[in-house]
Amino acid sequence: MKAYLLKRLLLMVPTLLGITFLTYAIVRLAPGDPIAAMIRAQAGNIDPKVMHADAERIRERLGLKDYDYLGDGRIDGLDKAVGVFHGYGRWFRHILQGDFGESIKFRTGSSPSSRNPFLLFLERIPVTLTLNVIAEIFIFLIAIPVGLASARRKGRLFDRASGVALLVLWSIPEILAGTLLLGLLARGGLGLPWFPVAWLHSPNSDQMGRLAYITDMLWHAVLPVACMVYGGLAYLAKLGRASLLENLRADYVRTARAKGVPERQVVYRHALRNSLIPMITTMVMILPGLIGGSVIVENIFSIQGMGLLVVEAARACDLSVIMTGTLVYGFLTLLAVLIGDVLYAWADPRVRYE
Amino acid sequence: MSEARASNPVGVPRTYGAIVWRQLRRRPSAMASLAVIVVLALVAILAPFLGGDIPIRWVENGRASWPIFKHLANLEYAAMLAFVQALLLVPTVRLLRWRAEVAGGSPWTRAIAIHLAVWVLCMTALEVLREDRLSPPSYLSRRGQAEAAWFPLIAYPREPGFAELQFKDAPPSWQHPLGTGRSGNDILVGLFYGARTAMTIGFVTVGISSLIGVTLGAFSGYFLGAVDLVLMRIAEIFMCIPRLILIILILTVIPPGVLSPLWTVVIVLGITGWTGTYRFMRAELLRIRTEDYMTAARALGIPTWRLLARHAVPNGLAPILVGATFGIAGAVFLEASLAFLNLVQTPSWGEMLNDGRQHLEYWWVWASAGGAIFLTVFVYNLLGEAIRDAIDPRLKV
Repeated sequence: MKAYLLKRLLLMVPTLLGITFLTYAIVRLAPGDPIAAMIRAQAGNIDPKVMHADAERIRERLGLKDYDYLGDGRIDGLDKAVGVFHGYGRWFRHILQGDFGESIKFRTGSSPSSRNPFLLFLERIPVTLTLNVIAEIFIFLIAIPVGLASARRKGRLFDRASGVALLVLWSIPEILAGTLLLGLLARGGLGLPWFPVAWLHSPNSDQMGRLAYITDMLWHAVLPVACMVYGGLAYLAKLGRASLLENLRADYVRTARAKGVPERQVVYRHALRNSLIPMITTMVMILPGLIGGSVIVENIFSIQGMGLLVVEAARACDLSVIMTGTLVYGFLTLLAVLIGDVLYAWADPRVRYE
Repeated sequence: MSEARASNPVGVPRTYGAIVWRQLRRRPSAMASLAVIVVLALVAILAPFLGGDIPIRWVENGRASWPIFKHLANLEYAAMLAFVQALLLVPTVRLLRWRAEVAGGSPWTRAIAIHLAVWVLCMTALEVLREDRLSPPSYLSRRGQAEAAWFPLIAYPREPGFAELQFKDAPPSWQHPLGTGRSGNDILVGLFYGARTAMTIGFVTVGISSLIGVTLGAFSGYFLGAVDLVLMRIAEIFMCIPRLILIILILTVIPPGVLSPLWTVVIVLGITGWTGTYRFMRAELLRIRTEDYMTAARALGIPTWRLLARHAVPNGLAPILVGATFGIAGAVFLEASLAFLNLVQTPSWGEMLNDGRQHLEYWWVWASAGGAIFLTVFVYNLLGEAIRDAIDPRLKV
């Protein structure tokens, strides 16, 4: 197990290198000058002189100093290609030293002078992860019974109705669901003001006790989590149904029935346990989607997570933050895949750690 | 079996594709969703005829003209031609099959190749001979001067100006069947043009990613060894790249003048979305390469590229179709979300939904836009599920 984990962790390194390289190459090889776009987006906010000094510094830190950003063809193709590797090397060395460039829009909370994009993400990761973990738990808690129930009633009314209902749920765009939930259950006016409109905590949450703090957070999380749950839930329930049906047809189930094992035990002890295995893999497959999907949810419900950060950075053309964001998201996805594989190996004894 | 013979008098052996299609035709949900998709495509292609302020026919001072054809862009003609050709595909195959009794060969590949060649030829000619005209004169305000004018179904400017502001936030009426938005824009016209964005995103994105995925997957699964190892690593990298964040990054970096945001999104989604197709194709090839017909083909000395293109890949395409259909739904979803977050500025259903979200009491705005996204995604998911059931080997005749 230890050796397997170590091997998997080592295999993550080339993938991470690939992600960082791709990110860098895109920024570098894209037409136009991203730093210039950044300056344009900030025009009016910051004194131009300060801005240009900032721009030069950021260019240096992102390894974008020596490239043909004027686009006047002074640097030819080969030099350009070599320049990508040089620049990438410089940028990556900075990253290894913990220097991810600097944000022009955001300051990190603790110290007003710090503009390290990585710290920005560190502050926000817990928020996004909390939402995702709660959502994932609910997805599982609801999807398994639904899948089980429709598989056992295959072809009957419940199965057909739930099949259509799940497909409908799966097809409802998050942006519509979020808008409606917010409008009908949170905002006054047309709907009922039952839930908070924005944020994950009340403004006075610092003074609350621990229990009150958690209740407050859960209260705020109801609508966003509902928004994240229904799609994945539909997908997983459908998959669970298919997987259970597959197992109920298997020889070992016939054997179990033949030797007189009660039906309940056949389903719960044998078939269900085996059909959970593909669901575990799928859980991990939908995790990146969920993390990505929480970008939308965080924006609709104004939750201060990573997704909101990235979108706000994009509106301000804050290049360092978005580049860091690509890395953070890529890393989290890699980690999710790893956890999935480990869980898979743990759940299925046929998979060996090799 | 006798039925199969009866419907197949030529004696051409029933192909895998024919079996899948027969299964699919039995499912009402599949046929209904296909019909909706065709209607959506028609709406997207014919949007200028359905809503807008450029007349189809205009008679002034006794002289008749057809302004709309003058102002259609080359790209719009390209889409129309492609649609007509898609409809002509089946007749062409019939024709080729009728000739095939003499000549032999796969009629589908040939038909697609012929139509592709015709399309490229026509488009090159059009690009050379014709330039897009922008900013047509305002016909709607000069309506009284014309002796006769045929306007689109909803004669109303697509992008409303100051004059249209007086009609803003109006509920559905005869003039505006789905009401108007906050700048006086007609919602139904918006839906027509949004269908274009959704269809473009869906088809082009999945076209690009399927092409990449099938090619790389076939290489990977057929050659194995070092090729497979390298391609697998690359696929792993692409799988872990967060697509939404990558698009946001690229939209930030590329200045809007160079490439329109819509095409940026299409290209990025196309280039990053191939990993699923790749893995399916690779798995199929792993199975196919050991089949007897492959050994036979190899023994006959058929060159490798032909082996892959004519024998291996066509037999592994059915599972790809499922992924592609779901992929279209996913791409529509993603584009709508990006437009909703105001990260791409294109006429899109997502943008309309964003316009409507502040004022839910104007229900026609969000209900139309949200309903359109939902319907499109639902129809593709329905079709994808039907295809998946149709290719299930347990159901095969």
